Amino acid sequence: MRETMQKIRLKVWKFLKKNAMGWAIMLPGLVLFAFYIWIPLFQNISLSFFETAGTAKVKFVGLEQYQILFQSRDFIQALGNTFEYTLWSMIIGFLLPIIIALILNEVVHLRGLFRTLIYFPNIVPGIAVAIMWMFLFDPNSYGVLNSLFKTHHLWLNNEKTVIPLIVFTLTWKGAGATSLIYLANLQTIDKVYYEAARLEGASAWQRFRHVTLPHLKGQIKMLLIVQIISVFQVFYEPLVMTKGGGPNGASSTLVQLIYQIAFVEGNAGKAAALSVIVALLLFMLTGFYFYFGKERRKHVGKIAK
Amino acid sequence: MKRLMVLITIALFVFALSACKDKNDKIVITIGMWPDETAKEDVEMFKEWKRRFENDYPQYEIKGQNYEYNVDTFLFMAETGTIPTVFQTWFTEPQKLIANGYVKDITDELKTLGWYDKMDPEMRAAMSANGRTYGVPRDGYGLGLFMNLQLLEEAGLIEDYDHDGKLDLYDSEGNPLYPETFDKLLTMASTVTERLEYVAGFMVLSANKQGGWQFSNIAWNFGADLQVQENGKWVSKLNSPGAIAALEWIKKIKHENNALPSDVSLSYNDWWSKIGQETLAMCIVGSDAIATPFVNMDKPTDYPYAFVPMPAGPSGERYSLFGGTPYMFSAKATSEQVMGALRFLEYMGRSPEMSDVAKQSIEDGMQVALKKGMPILPSIKPWINEDYVSYMENMEQIYCNVNMDYFKDFYALFDSMKRTEEPHYCQEMYKALDGAIQTILDPKGITVNVENLLTTINNDFQKNYMNNVN
Repeated sequence: MRETMQKIRLKVWKFLKKNAMGWAIMLPGLVLFAFYIWIPLFQNISLSFFETAGTAKVKFVGLEQYQILFQSRDFIQALGNTFEYTLWSMIIGFLLPIIIALILNEVVHLRGLFRTLIYFPNIVPGIAVAIMWMFLFDPNSYGVLNSLFKTHHLWLNNEKTVIPLIVFTLTWKGAGATSLIYLANLQTIDKVYYEAARLEGASAWQRFRHVTLPHLKGQIKMLLIVQIISVFQVFYEPLVMTKGGGPNGASSTLVQLIYQIAFVEGNAGKAAALSVIVALLLFMLTGFYFYFGKERRKHVGKIAK
Repeated sequence: MKRLMVLITIALFVFALSACKDKNDKIVITIGMWPDETAKEDVEMFKEWKRRFENDYPQYEIKGQNYEYNVDTFLFMAETGTIPTVFQTWFTEPQKLIANGYVKDITDELKTLGWYDKMDPEMRAAMSANGRTYGVPRDGYGLGLFMNLQLLEEAGLIEDYDHDGKLDLYDSEGNPLYPETFDKLLTMASTVTERLEYVAGFMVLSANKQGGWQFSNIAWNFGADLQVQENGKWVSKLNSPGAIAALEWIKKIKHENNALPSDVSLSYNDWWSKIGQETLAMCIVGSDAIATPFVNMDKPTDYPYAFVPMPAGPSGERYSLFGGTPYMFSAKATSEQVMGALRFLEYMGRSPEMSDVAKQSIEDGMQVALKKGMPILPSIKPWINEDYVSYMENMEQIYCNVNMDYFKDFYALFDSMKRTEEPHYCQEMYKALDGAIQTILDPKGITVNVENLLTTINNDFQKNYMNNVN
């Protein structure tokens, strides 16, 4: 036993000595990561099993907080809404950046100006965007859009249209930045492929399908996952635009519910439990991200060879 | 280089030591109600109060911090011990702050100063738990009906009968022309909406628990008691006949009379902008918010805004939900700091003490308010000692700068109407009722069975909350 322990200690010492510089370089990052990410993460998980007063643990209740959440109408509604946001973001916000990138790629004159204009909504602070669109979507007859189009739509006050409209504002803000990422990729495609395709008699659609799309495929998959993860965490748009997830919870989201429980109700244990559930859902989505990322790296590797 | 580093290290060490030697032995009190730097008159006034206080109590040092209570920041400040010694919060918060251990029990300090029994008992109860008190009221509020008389005149509902250049709220025999019942309110609101384009006659709140808060008062006036004791157990009655009648009234004014705005989610921040933009004629608000449209929409103090008592229900019940805006104290504050902060409240004119310095401060406050063009009205008194009440009433009479005909009935009737909020899980009850109101305000709400809706909400509330009380 003693000899085994000595052998293990020697192995560990050799390992550390061999990689001493690497460990020394990594150490500050590891410490910061532990302090700001891992320790709070494990503390949060631990908190979710307790009844709390403030953030102080009062009584161990096991999975009771999770039970209360799964039986709560607010949670079920917010869960459904969050997936609905994701679905609408794929319908409204997924193709648009690709289309914008394809168009920008064909622009010859004033390309820089168009890129700036497309990117501009992205630099407007999120809260300002939310408030601006909230005014535009005023449901009264004197509201901006209702006055302009002479309609009487409820816009954000209609349970059916509130989520698509919020996704629309998210798309308005973010599509430009995403399209520039696609544009950067499009500009790495060698023109030789397009010339060869033209010589073969390929139409515009065929060139897109057989040259452009395969090149973009990996990136599309990755950005789709990133978009889904990002929309899954939508928070301040429903908070600001619909006064906390209205009408009647139709636009509430999981992250907004965490905020509501943690800060407005002051129940840290229940909020911690909900954040663990959200984290597990996001881990699943992140798993898909890494899987598709592996595919993209293989694809890029093949092209490089 | 090495010598230089050693010299710098020694210098820093000496500097640190000297800082220790100059340590201030004063008791530092952080006042969270300190005004923002841009409000120059208020800042000067607070500085003068600070100067007077530190002169009389040299063992204290006052530090001003412009802290506006917000749920987003409060939790972090509480956990890191950076909440001011004394701060103002919303009337909805005391029980949550007490339960989470963020505020200090100041019962002993209040009794030492003799303030405990001078506090309005109902306001004190709202800031107390298990017989201990955790705050002092800044002032009180009661719900009433706010009206834009200009719009009522344009709708032909009132006019300047005596031709004195001011719109009249009473007829030639002194009878009120404002709605004294919910039936009359419905009729007047409908008339405004029919005759004026882009104007809603009335507004019902429905979000951020404010809808439920307001609705509870409407329900009382329709004869409802929302929480009752039956056989020694607390029972929720959100589906009582009075509550159903109140929600039916909202359904009628929304869908039959079309007298409400089109918004489904409306919070307390919406009413004053709609009133000020002349797109809303009447709404139910707290008396502590009367000044808001004057200040935020830059209206002169003689602008025809009125604030009248809550309308009565079909059986004549007429209540005004009553509460107080609290000052509360950090749980980490020492007893000395609390005593100092309470004494500073005297120097702000916010205590029951009627010393010369307190009277001076009250007058300072009135004069600054006049300079800023703020309306000065009677207040709901948080302290009940005779010398405080009589002095305040006298000052309010001297400095009043509004047409009291538009406000007098509210203050005259308030004492007979005031009623405190329901005793248990009020915030949760308000949130549940928000949902009911939004369901009714939705276009599909016209087909909703109100009784079934309230019964579902009532059963959930009883199961999830009221059963915990028993």
